[in-house]
Amino acid sequence: MPSETEEPDWDAGAMGCGDLVLGLRARLLPLAPGTMFRLRATDPAAPEDIPAWCRMTGHALASANHPVYIIRRKGA
Amino acid sequence: MPGKFCVSLTCATDSPDKATVAFVVANAAVASDQETVVFLSTEGVRLAVRGAADGVAEEGFSPLKDLMANFAAAGGKIYVCSPCFKKRKLDDTALVTGAVIVGGAKLVEFMSTGCPSVSY
Repeated sequence: MPSETEEPDWDAGAMGCGDLVLGLRARLLPLAPGTMFRLRATDPAAPEDIPAWCRMTGHALASANHPVYIIRRKGA
Repeated sequence: MPGKFCVSLTCATDSPDKATVAFVVANAAVASDQETVVFLSTEGVRLAVRGAADGVAEEGFSPLKDLMANFAAAGGKIYVCSPCFKKRKLDDTALVTGAVIVGGAKLVEFMSTGCPSVSY
């Protein structure tokens, strides 16, 4: 578990497609609104999928530097 | 951007590749805040019975049983074609989580207000 000063993160490895976004959703939703979340996803589809997922769900993609994505949980 | 999404699946263990990909896409839809239904018809209805998906694990994909369980846990619904199910004399007391046996009207109601779909 991350400390209070570290942003929560998840190394999804090579996970992709439905598994990736389902896992991302499960980890992001319990967080407080506005929380910054660091995702590492090496799947070659991630540069397309993660921005699309953020657009659909309303979470903000703060930065995308494949394979690292910083997402701000929606609600703040 | 809430909306609806339907995945139509007409095969089961007779085409494990298609069945697996159908639930992977369904999981992407439900994870993207879409109200998602997997519609099982013809041979696909066999997957609605507990245990039918056991042992299906395509290379590079999560096991089908896990994909289906994750889909249901995320709020996805599985509509099971009633006449297809009855024709095969399957056990309606042993449905997987998230599955409900429906007639055509239920599917039409879900899709009638506008619903993209993909078929396998």
